[in-house]
Amino acid sequence: MSSNPSESSPLNRAEALERVGGDEAFLEELLSIYQEEFAEKSPALAEALANQDAKSVREIGHYIKGASANLSLPGLQAASFDIEKAGADGRLEDAKAAYQTLLSEYDRLKKHLAG
Amino acid sequence: MSPLPSVLIAEDDPISSRILEKNLRSWGYETTVARNGNQAWETLRGPTTRLALLDWMMPGAEGPELCRRIRALNKPGYTYIILLTSRDSVQDIIDGLEAGADDFMTKPVNFAELRARLQTGGRIIALEDKLLDSQKRLFELATRDSLTGIWNRATILRFLSDEMAHCRRGGDYSLSTILIDVDYFKKINDTHGHLVGDKVLSKVTSCLEKHIRPYDKVGRYGGDEFLIVLPNCSLYHVAVVAERLRTAVEKLKIRVEGGVLNLSLSLGCASSECFRRAAGERMIKESDRALYKAKQEGRNRVGLCSELKGPKDNRKEKKKGARRVIESK
Repeated sequence: MSSNPSESSPLNRAEALERVGGDEAFLEELLSIYQEEFAEKSPALAEALANQDAKSVREIGHYIKGASANLSLPGLQAASFDIEKAGADGRLEDAKAAYQTLLSEYDRLKKHLAG
Repeated sequence: MSPLPSVLIAEDDPISSRILEKNLRSWGYETTVARNGNQAWETLRGPTTRLALLDWMMPGAEGPELCRRIRALNKPGYTYIILLTSRDSVQDIIDGLEAGADDFMTKPVNFAELRARLQTGGRIIALEDKLLDSQKRLFELATRDSLTGIWNRATILRFLSDEMAHCRRGGDYSLSTILIDVDYFKKINDTHGHLVGDKVLSKVTSCLEKHIRPYDKVGRYGGDEFLIVLPNCSLYHVAVVAERLRTAVEKLKIRVEGGVLNLSLSLGCASSECFRRAAGERMIKESDRALYKAKQEGRNRVGLCSELKGPKDNRKEKKKGARRVIESK
């Protein structure tokens, strides 16, 4: 059994495992799919921000939020939700700031998974 | 217990879709996965998908749009739809339900709740199936003859009336009828009992069904009387069919206590080409008259309606042709 996640853990493992019926291997597979998806969506998001394309910012933010929520990644979920909202309101500077938070949350997740 | 229905999972997020699939399979559902709205539509419009989980936001067509399309399609067998979304405002819920969704769940879904909601969907589908099945059985009861399984009197008369309407649209289209009586049926009943009488009717029915064209309709008109409606059939051809039926029944043998029972039919044919203004009642009346004549002339024979419209020569030819069929036996 894994240890209890602390408040600041990037992954709420217990909650994520509950969603996949306690299947550790399946959760690992989903986390690797998440990383592949992130590697694809993150540059697309950076490009949308550079192009001032608020619609795409909102859509990509929405997508990452959904995937993060499914795997119980609270920091990534919160940052991507901020991106989605900022994109929807056309606040692209706020979206850029939230994108930086998203990237650092993603780093935290990777370290957590590697550790 | 009936097997669980197959569920369509329409979700563009691969993680969400994999988690849904894994859970649904562990609960015993068969699943089909679509990764965009267009793929989802291809599966939804087919007959097998009765339960669907649709993501609200998808490339191609979004969940509410798919709901609207499936409701407009009105396909047989209801499709129960649960819309999945991270939207949760009251207006979103109203919009989703108004588009035709049956239920609404906010993502990430709680799986115990999803399982219960899918069971609700399954119950509704099972109820609909039961209702359709009852309707089908009621339809059978209302339209079929309980002994022979062929159309009952009311239904065969309705077929006749519908076909007459087609016939009246003109052209060369002609419709024919044959009214049939089992010879000496009362005597069979009196001598061998009603069970043998029933067996005779069943045997004759099978024989008639075997020897008519696939698009002809046969019904039980009365006790031992049958009515056959033959669309797109001239007097000549109805004479051919009637003669075929007469010969086939003549060859039937029914085992009874102490021997074998031979059967025969008297048949009266009418064709719409015989009359200037054909109507269902007229066709029955003329078939009946022809049947009466066949009986008068000794039974086990085919009688033809007596009138023919059109120029005299043509009329004679038509009648002669049909008569040759029944006289060459």
